[in-house]
Amino acid sequence: MKRSNRKILIGVLIIGLAVGFLIVRGISTTSAYYLTVAELKESPTGLNLGAEETVRVGGDVVADSIAYDQQALRLAFELRDQQNPAATIRVSYAGPKPDAFEPDVEVLAEGIYRRGDNLFAADNLLVKCPSKYSSEEGSK
Amino acid sequence: MVVFGNLSQFAALAFSLLALVLTLLGVMRNDARLARGGARALLSAAAFTTLASIALAGLFLSDNFQVEYVASYSDRALPIFYKLTAFWAGQKGSLLFWAWTLSFCAVLTVYSNRRDADPRTTSYVYLVLAGTLSFFLFLLCAVTSPFELLSFTPADGQGLNPMLQNPGMVFHPPTLFLGYVGFTVPFAYAVAAMVTGRSDAGWIRKARVWNVLSWIFLTIGIILGGQWAYVELGWGGFWAWDPVENASFIPWLASTAFIHTAIIQERRGIMKVWNMVLILLTFTLCIFGTYLVRSGVLQSVHDFGATGLGGYFLAFTIVTLLGGIYLIAESYHDLKTPHVLESYLSRESTFLFNNVILLALAFATLFGTVFPIISEAFTGNKVTVGPAFFNMVNTPLFLLLLLITGICPLIGWRKASASNLRRNFLRPAIFGLVVLALLLGFGIRHPYALIAFSLCGFVAATIVLEFVAALRSRDKQSGESFWSAGPKLLWRLRRRYGGHLVHFGLVLMVVGITGSTAFKQQAQGTLKRGETLQVGRYELRYDDFNVYNKFNRTIYGAQLSVFNGGEPLGILETQRRVYVNAEQPTTEVALRTTLRDDLYVTMPGIGRNEEITLKAAVNPLLVWGWIGGALMVVGGVVAIIPERKRRIAS
Repeated sequence: MKRSNRKILIGVLIIGLAVGFLIVRGISTTSAYYLTVAELKESPTGLNLGAEETVRVGGDVVADSIAYDQQALRLAFELRDQQNPAATIRVSYAGPKPDAFEPDVEVLAEGIYRRGDNLFAADNLLVKCPSKYSSEEGSK
Repeated sequence: MVVFGNLSQFAALAFSLLALVLTLLGVMRNDARLARGGARALLSAAAFTTLASIALAGLFLSDNFQVEYVASYSDRALPIFYKLTAFWAGQKGSLLFWAWTLSFCAVLTVYSNRRDADPRTTSYVYLVLAGTLSFFLFLLCAVTSPFELLSFTPADGQGLNPMLQNPGMVFHPPTLFLGYVGFTVPFAYAVAAMVTGRSDAGWIRKARVWNVLSWIFLTIGIILGGQWAYVELGWGGFWAWDPVENASFIPWLASTAFIHTAIIQERRGIMKVWNMVLILLTFTLCIFGTYLVRSGVLQSVHDFGATGLGGYFLAFTIVTLLGGIYLIAESYHDLKTPHVLESYLSRESTFLFNNVILLALAFATLFGTVFPIISEAFTGNKVTVGPAFFNMVNTPLFLLLLLITGICPLIGWRKASASNLRRNFLRPAIFGLVVLALLLGFGIRHPYALIAFSLCGFVAATIVLEFVAALRSRDKQSGESFWSAGPKLLWRLRRRYGGHLVHFGLVLMVVGITGSTAFKQQAQGTLKRGETLQVGRYELRYDDFNVYNKFNRTIYGAQLSVFNGGEPLGILETQRRVYVNAEQPTTEVALRTTLRDDLYVTMPGIGRNEEITLKAAVNPLLVWGWIGGALMVVGGVVAIIPERKRRIAS
């Protein structure tokens, strides 16, 4: 092999290794479990959640549990599991209530779960838009 | 109209399949007449796809709500302009639009080959186009037809999602589709070149033009998408590394890589295999992206839901990928080139590194996007990565790419000498260091921002200095004035300077992205009338509150006076809108854009006594990102306007 080609190959290898390193580091420091409410409560075996580990949890907003303080911008509500409605957690979120946040909508919360209080401190809240296009009329 | 649309759709499929059969027979029997017949069938398929599209547009305009698709995405109150754009608001219409653009590309291809001397090559090109078109038309006719009827006629439609009633959303989907669809043509040329063994420079020139054209549309689509997210979604950003965004970004990266190495193949006749791989990758990634987006396997804010189309797109992806790999393996001996790179200090090698980094970016982005699927398959737990992952991995790669963007045009072909390097690099490097020193002097310590801005200075300096030097040497020959010669030079060497314009646009874009992410300032609060909120250098005073109706919406608007250190700058209105037919209010961003920064205000809440909750942000330099994006598009256009005479290689 020509020497210049070897040097180029070495350069490519270095970039490849750097990318591999970045990906591995990225996954290990930024990835988070995506769980349902029931999974979060049970914390399945093999899933060692640290006390301060950020997770994402998805579920439906319990209808009459919403408390919003507009002055202080604090939102509190309960989230229930989509398959198993008996499993619920309390969620608190510091920030304005998102646009589409309503009773029974599907919500994705990102934050830390305090098992002792059954309280999920969310620092990010995403509302999955209910697809209004598949409402009753359309499915008749 | 419904019957007409349905018939047109089926006729289009029939002609498309006919084109497939004719071209297939044509290449098997080596009969030019069959190939010409195939081209004609392809044109007919295009005509009928156009008729089907006209029919659907007509159904929207005439408020025919018995058609399920029209009832789902339009209503009587919708302004007529948005009735037309509701065409591609949903999946079925998007597919029809996709098929229509593909058929349009096929027409252009047939037209551009009308005097081609080699019917064998064109037959294969038409074969691939007819195959892809048939796939889309099949989905339309058999799986998800936009002309499907409801069993009753609703009094009114369900309306267009308010978030889609925005000019950015009008052009974002069609440009993105044009980008996706356009990549079919270079892929078709690549297949033809491999099968016929005519992998010479001729096909790569055609493939390049189509590729750049599609790249331009994809770029426009991505930028408009970002702009739409910024002004419409109200979360303050323009890019969230959402799977759907990534699905458009990944093929963009692969296509950018091809644009660069295609130049090497044209100039030096090397890297033929690699270019085939890139074309195949770009095309497959477009289809695979569609699969990811439409199959519902990933969580996304673009909620298309599980639509039953995923399987078809996955199958199509696998078939193309395997077919492509087989063809490349079969024609490997024809494609293999004896040339090697003479030196690692050469323009060729910088192109190579540019490719490696672009593909690394593509890989990292793809990996992060599908990571939830991978982790669930291997561990049983769904583990997701968010924007933090993409920013962490991609930012250093981008900065490296930016560095190479600066180095590449300065370095000679084949082998650069040390003196050549010193001569060309000294001044840009000094300029980059001056930028760094200035920023440090102003007290900026954000590491990525420092690196990014210095590199921007370096790259901008290389581009400007190269142009000035070229002008000077021309100046001496012609005696023309500096200013009149500039545009002429740019026009005469438009392929080169088009590329440089794209690079300059990229620099501006990096400036915008870095400024607005590294130095963003935010504030939020709930205000009574007369109270103020401070954000960055601005002060917002809540003056007045109004409720009024306009078109198909009720607007709740809050008037805010903007001050900068006591000096009044004018009035902004931030709104919440309730559209007819929509249950939820939407936020309308109030935006004050200057070259220095954007003031971005939303109103997430209105209380009983008209006290309002405000979220405000100052995004420094953000507008430069949009200007840079526009410049990238302009540069791309400049670069593909054909040059009359091919320049002698220097």
